[in-house]
Amino acid sequence: MRARGLLLPLLLLVAAELGMRLSGTQSMALAAPSDVFLSLLSAIGDGSLLVATRDTLTVAFAGLAIGTAVGLAFGILFGLVPPLNRLMEVTIEAIRPVPSVALIPIAMLALGFGYRMGIAIVAFACAFPMLILTRAAIAGIEPRLFEVARALRLSAMQRVFKIILPAAFPRIMVAFRLAAGIALVVAVTVEIAANPLGLGYGILIAQQALDPARMLAYLVWIGIVGYALNWALVGAQHGMFGRAGGAEARQ
Amino acid sequence: MKLGNGASRLGTVLAVLMGMTSIASAQEKVVIGCTATTDCASAAIAVEEGIFEKNGLDAELILIGLNSNIPAGILSNSLQIGGPTPSVFLQATDGGLDLVAVAGASSTAKETADTVAIVTRAGVEISSAKDLAGKKVGAPGIGAFLHVLFQQWLIENDVDPKSVQFVEVTFPTMSDVLQSGAVDAVVAAEPFLSRILSAGTGKVMSHYLEDLPEHQPQILYASTREWADSNPEALAAFRASIDEAAKIVNADPDKARGAISRFTKIPPEVLANMKLSVSDPVITSEQLAWWADVMNQQNMLQNEPDVDALVQK
Repeated sequence: MRARGLLLPLLLLVAAELGMRLSGTQSMALAAPSDVFLSLLSAIGDGSLLVATRDTLTVAFAGLAIGTAVGLAFGILFGLVPPLNRLMEVTIEAIRPVPSVALIPIAMLALGFGYRMGIAIVAFACAFPMLILTRAAIAGIEPRLFEVARALRLSAMQRVFKIILPAAFPRIMVAFRLAAGIALVVAVTVEIAANPLGLGYGILIAQQALDPARMLAYLVWIGIVGYALNWALVGAQHGMFGRAGGAEARQ
Repeated sequence: MKLGNGASRLGTVLAVLMGMTSIASAQEKVVIGCTATTDCASAAIAVEEGIFEKNGLDAELILIGLNSNIPAGILSNSLQIGGPTPSVFLQATDGGLDLVAVAGASSTAKETADTVAIVTRAGVEISSAKDLAGKKVGAPGIGAFLHVLFQQWLIENDVDPKSVQFVEVTFPTMSDVLQSGAVDAVVAAEPFLSRILSAGTGKVMSHYLEDLPEHQPQILYASTREWADSNPEALAAFRASIDEAAKIVNADPDKARGAISRFTKIPPEVLANMKLSVSDPVITSEQLAWWADVMNQQNMLQNEPDVDALVQK
């Protein structure tokens, strides 16, 4: 089954290779797959790709950690205190639709080039899905669990850690995976638009250097990194929740 | 005991010295940001040939993707010196950013005017500026250097730029866009220009820079006023280095090509047949006044810039 799934991509690669070779094109936007592969090897060999990957992942992970922590905290707070949730509804809904990349010019002026700017924008982008989904996850907790908490006279902290987080955790994990996908996208976008470091910057520089093979090599690599990241997260989710988590993860 | 004492003292001294040098280098380090063109060749040569170092300047050149990001990079102190186009520079200062021009990078010249052209689609009859009225023209960046100067050329040929429909088309796609008939003409520059011509998708209608004055800046070096005022020695060293490097660029273009290739990662074979922008280390308020005038005619500035104050003495 799996081998058959690879057939179409392989055919397309061969077609692209033949097309590029036979047409003898001097395109500045396309390159033959074999050239892209060689370019990828050379970018790994000279270390530039690995440094760029480290920079992008640093920004993505730090932004993800900060953004999801903030989103989680506020999501729990709003989920547990309905009046506060209603009070903040308009504010949240007003800020949430602001595209994170629209913050790039402001972040550039306020924070300058470097990790901080990328991290701030990634954190902004990751906080909202986490907040919204955590809030929804808490709203979906079986009401009887709260009755149990009351009967046991649990403190607020004990309620959060013994009842709410365990009950909402599978859905929070979905939110985390969603945020992780966003983190990588936003991190790369910030690099393409402004920040002179990381994989996005690598794509931009390769494009401007009229080196489509290297540009596409970076693109392929970003795909591989994204795939690996998702694979690791699905694995973690599966490991933590067994079949139930895995069933959701395969959707 | 004595030995241990001596060693620990040595260690302390070394640590203090290292701390001091790291602070000193952190203060003096000058980061210069430029885009992937041949205009910052003087800075690239000054880095490669050790001219900055010789003049006591610890300088690093970094590649910036978009020219319009440079003012923000300078203002946030990520860059101490950047290479914006005059249009980006004047719009930034017009918007209230306190930047000053500290040196010239490159300027227009008759011998490089043929590196830029308005290219018309094969099969479309456009022989004069007037014929462009009502046509769709692709430009690499609306409001950017080539587009502003092209509109200036239209104005000087009595064509209202508003009568021309401009769309943004990136350099690498120009040939394909011409071929598909999506635009009637494009504003193209080397090395893309010669590729379009060899592909036969368009022909040169005018090397319009030939009709515009020479010695107008294409890229200038700028910093914040604060940095320029508080680092007179670093600025003097920068200017002396650029002055010396510009002479090398203009006298030995092949050496400059090597430096640019290593800085921008543009393959040497692409640069080999390309004319480099003329390096011109001088920037004057008269030059900025010319640009301000051009931009004012196109309603690109809100205020009348004080061009004398925009050039660091």
